[in-house]
Parts: sequence; structure tokens; C-alpha cells
Amino acid sequence: MTDTKQTMTNATLPAALAAFVDQLLPGKGDWPSGATLGIQHPLMERLVTQSGETALEGLSQSLEKIGAPFNGLDADARAAAVRRLETEEPDRFQWLQTAAYQAYYENPTVVALIDARGTPYKLRPHVQGYNLPKFDLETQTPKHGRGHWTRTADVKPVDTSGLNLETETTKWGLQR
Amino acid sequence: MSATDQTCDVLIIGSGATGSISALVLAQAGLDVVCLEQGGWIERKEFAHLHQDWSWQRQTNWNPDVNVRRHPDDYPVDSDSSQVLMWNGVGGSTNVYGAIWPRYRPSDFRKGDEHGLQPNWPITYEDIAPYYDRVDRMLGTSGLAGDPAQPTRAACPTGPLPFTQPAQKLAKAFDKLGWHWWPAEAGVVSEDYDGRPGCNGCGMCNGCPRGSMTLYAQSIWPKALAAGAKLQTHARVLRIETGSDGRATGAVWKNRITGAEERTKAKIVIVAANGVGTPRLLLASDNLANSSDMVGRNLLHHTLVAAQIWVNEQVDGQIGYVASLISREFAETDVSRGFVNGFNFNCLTSAPSAGELTSGWLSGTKAPWGEGHHDWFDKHFGHSIGLFGIGDDLPNPENRVYLDVNRTDEDGIPIAQMHYAPGENDRRMMNYMLDRLQEIGEAAGAFKIALQDYRDADGVYRTPAWHMIGTCRMGSDPETSVVNGWHQCWDVPNMFIMDGSVLPTGGVVNPTPTISALALRAAEHIRDNFVDLTTTTRSQAV
Repeated sequence: MTDTKQTMTNATLPAALAAFVDQLLPGKGDWPSGATLGIQHPLMERLVTQSGETALEGLSQSLEKIGAPFNGLDADARAAAVRRLETEEPDRFQWLQTAAYQAYYENPTVVALIDARGTPYKLRPHVQGYNLPKFDLETQTPKHGRGHWTRTADVKPVDTSGLNLETETTKWGLQR
Repeated sequence: MSATDQTCDVLIIGSGATGSISALVLAQAGLDVVCLEQGGWIERKEFAHLHQDWSWQRQTNWNPDVNVRRHPDDYPVDSDSSQVLMWNGVGGSTNVYGAIWPRYRPSDFRKGDEHGLQPNWPITYEDIAPYYDRVDRMLGTSGLAGDPAQPTRAACPTGPLPFTQPAQKLAKAFDKLGWHWWPAEAGVVSEDYDGRPGCNGCGMCNGCPRGSMTLYAQSIWPKALAAGAKLQTHARVLRIETGSDGRATGAVWKNRITGAEERTKAKIVIVAANGVGTPRLLLASDNLANSSDMVGRNLLHHTLVAAQIWVNEQVDGQIGYVASLISREFAETDVSRGFVNGFNFNCLTSAPSAGELTSGWLSGTKAPWGEGHHDWFDKHFGHSIGLFGIGDDLPNPENRVYLDVNRTDEDGIPIAQMHYAPGENDRRMMNYMLDRLQEIGEAAGAFKIALQDYRDADGVYRTPAWHMIGTCRMGSDPETSVVNGWHQCWDVPNMFIMDGSVLPTGGVVNPTPTISALALRAAEHIRDNFVDLTTTTRSQAV
């Protein structure tokens, strides 16, 4: 971006953000695109709530840097631009991705689509809940008979001499 | 100082699970009880549950992590490791917890005998077993008695919650592996109970404004207030004061509405400010009750790892109570595994929210952006199941809560610092748990298994620390513990610590049922010995 160009204003930011969210959440089949539902607007509002008004300027600069709203770019170039933000500004991208997904899936249109596909889903599940069959004591009580526990009086010393806990397991967790 | 210098029989600091139970017991006995709570009441309509953007709110202003939501009722806690999960307000962290309700087991109290890498408790499982049952009756706990992996218990006041499809799927997987499983006990009423409606299966199990889940602000506090307890909200305690005889005389606190400093004097002081707030307050009160140097030390979180699996069958994990079943197959020590202590599997349903699921719920596995997003959603939503491995971590005095010597909060109290790193035994256990989680996923026929070890890019273990315990542990020896078996401070005989900081071991379960049972037991001890406790200058071993 050259110095002669001005950072996009708040008035033009929605269009750039709309183009961006449509890259994240394009329309397909019955699924509307993110921008069709206008999720760029709650994204802007939530960014301000979390980080203040000045955060919009930072977002504008990031989107401008990758050429949003992508006028004149073909599909591959648009996707490449989004990948560039993902790589160069991972924290911002992650926020935008999460916020976009959250806004999309709380939209009444999308909620209705999810429910209609046969996976029960409500806009505000807490209000009326979901219908679930009661626990059937006859058929759902475990009959495996497995399980044991040690009584207080039966707790006996175990031999820990072979554990070598003074050593260090350096490869642990997902690195194990 | 002191717009009002009130005096009461019992001053309770903190209105969470243990503060509320204490207030109820002692007020019902006719004692003059005052409870100071730094936060406020939460109106039902304020909960995220009733709003269209509930999923977003759960990640932001209702996030259980104090360092994410930054609510004015909170106090600063800096951690170089753990995610600090709690809620400051009437009812404490029960406003945002999941109310999974398993009990400790007898061996959890006897680790000193078993291997000596943890202390014995000064009390046994049998000492608190009756209080588990009584707390369950107070709260309407749901579940199924008869688990062969646990001591005999009374029938749950409300029956087991619906056996969700994820539970059924996992039960078959555990059967295939030949491992124990049992329907999860829950601090959730499965049917109408004590004026509270039975669970409606909404799946939004972080707090529950309708009251099906046991929020102590809704289930205990109304009774405590009716019995005469006084609850002062927006009252941030600055320090506990003592007299020349070493007894606590009360507390100085800031009225967060008026800004005034006030003092409440009391014959008995109960501290119930959780495993971070309690040691912080004691350390900030001129190192009170700390001749053992154990205040703040031996912080326990549990060893915690997780897995998210996706199965081909539609299991609709977005609906129903969040905990599906529990497996106690590995709860006891077996040194052939290469470590001491055991662990449980807390099996879940899934994220109640499509937004959360696509954003990386539990395992961090996000839906892709772009062309493949909706195909991913079709394949994954309704097919996800979560599992936790939760184990008994060994105490380490360097894992601790301590005061920042350079920084204070807006009220002049040093900021709490928290450090936690798993030890060798814990790391081995987590490796073992991850391998077993993988096996469960395979036994369930999952088409994808994503493990979670809570280590960040730098390798730091950043566990979501709901369980902050051990930082004022009970014991039989004043040189190695902070309180005796009645929660009575060795150094301050009329001061009792009620919250989870007194637990010397973490067991392999969520601690709130045990913390609540212990609080009921200790509160009744105070009630029954109130006259003696108002004059005693010495705490004795139990």
C-alpha cells in the first residue's frame, strides 16, 4: 500500500470486512454467506466493545493491506489475500475467524437451518430446552459389574522404588 | 475509617459454596452472621443464557477466566501458567461452573500411607461420608447409586439425568475396552426439587439462571438470608485483624459502592475466598496464619488433558447436560503404570454452540474457512464428543499463590501471583491418560481424534484451572499445615478456612461436592462449639 492512499474510513470498513467474511464463510447450497447475513456489523461492534474505537483503525489498516474489499481480484487471489493475513497477523486473523463463526452461527437464519437439517438447535436453548428421553432405569443402568475401590483400612504402602521420579520426562503431552 | 463498626458472632469472607453453607448453618443456629462479598448479586436476566448472543458472551464477558472478562468485581491475578477460572459474586464460582458432582474415594485421604508423596488427611472418607449425603439432599443432586467403583452411598435425591447419545456411544466404547463407566452424578436436579425446575437439557452448563443447576446464590443463600444471615455485597476485604492474644478480631473492608473503609468485628472469622483469594488475603494480612510457611503453597489444579472425538453416527452432543458419564477404571494407584495416583475420565457431551464447535471447542480443532467450511460443518456438527482425563497431581511447594511485591490493586492490596508447573509424576500420568484417551476414541470408532495437552507454543502447561486447591492445607502437624481437621487455623484459633484451599490432596474428581461436604461438617462444628471457640487461644489436632 502506498503512502498516498488513505486508510479506509469507518464508512468503507463494512464493505471491506464484508468481503473478508465472505472469504471465511462463503455461501453454499442453503447456507448463506457471512456478508449476506451482515455479520460484518456485529464484528465491528464487538471489536469496539473489546478494544475500543481505535481498534477499528487497526482493522482497517490490516484489511487495506491485503486489498480488501478485493475488487478486481479473482477467487484464488482473494483466498491468497486472506491467507496472507492469517500468516502475517495470526492474532488478528484468529480473532476475526472466531468472531465471524460466532456471529454466523448465532444468526436466526443459520440456527433455523441447523435445526432443519435434523440436528436439534435453538436460538436460545435455555428458554425451552430440548426434549430428551428420561433415564431408563431398566435398560440404562450399567450391568457390567466392573469397578473397584480401596477401603480406608486396606490402603497399603506401594513400592515406589522403581519409579525413579527424580528423572525427567521431557517428551510429554502431545510431544510424547 | 469505619463508617460503621459492626460486631457480629461470625464473620464470613466470601459468599461462594462454602461461605453460603456456613452462613446457613450458623444463622439457623441463631448466631449473628455477617458475610462480606466483594461482588454483587447476579440477576437471572443478566446471565448469557437468555440472550441471542449467548455463545459469544460465554467467551467474553461471561468467560470464567478473570483475565479474559476483566469484570470490575474481580481482582487481579497474574499467572505465568494457569488460566485462572473463577467468579467473584454472590454464589462465587458456582455461577459459571459445570456442577459435575463426583465424590472423593477413601484412598484419596490416605496418600501418606500409600506412597508418602502426599500427606494423609487428618480425617478419613468415613468422617465426611454422611455430609456428602446431606449436602446432596440440600441441593437435589442427581445420579445413580450403586457404582461398584465407589463406596455405598444413599440414593440421589433426584434420579440420573437423561442418558444422552454421547453417553450411550461412550458406554459401548468402555464396554469394548472392558473399562468401568457409570452415569455422571451432577449438581443438577433432574426433576423439580425444592422449588427448582428439573433440567431442560439446554446444554449450556456454565451456570444456569433457571436454577436447575445448583447455583448457591439461588439454592442456599435465600435460606441463609431467611434464617437471618446478613450479606454485604460489594465489600472487598482489605485485611483480617488480630488482637494481642493472637485471635482474629474481624476484618477491614472497602465498601465498593461508597468507597468507605469499614470494619466488622467478630468472635469467629471464616475465610471462604477460594484457593487464590484466601491465601492472598492471609498473606496481605501481615502473613497471617502462616507460621508453617504453607499459606499459598502446594497449589493443586489436577492433571488435566482432554480429547475431542468425532463419530459417524449423529449423537447430538449439543443437547443435554454437559457430563455424560464417568470412568473410574484408573482411579487407584498402580505403580506398574510408571507413576503413583490415579485419574478419572470425565466424559462430556459436546459444545452446546455451533459457534464454539467451529471455533475450536476443547481440542482447538477449528472448522476451516473458505470453500470447505460448510462441508466440515455437515460432517462434524452433531458428531462431536469431549472427554477429560483428570488426575491427582502431587503437591509441590513451589506451585503456589504469592504476592507481587511491586504491584498493588486499586485498593492497595498486592496483586496475586500464581505459578503452577506439573511435576514428573504428573507428566507421566498425563502421557498415560492421553494414550488411554486415544484408545477410547478408537474403541468408539471415531473418524477423528484430537488430543489436548494444554501446552502452549512455548511448552508451558496452561491448564484451565477451575480447581485451585491445596493452598492452605489441613493436616495434623502445625509445622506442615495451615488448619487442623476442623478447618481451624493453627495460629489463629478463632479463624476457620472453609474453601478448597484446605484440601491436602486433589483426588481425581471435581472438588465442589467434597468442599461443600467439608464446609457443612466444619460449620456444624463451629455451631456446636461456639462458646468454647469464642475464648479458646489454642487449636488442637483432630
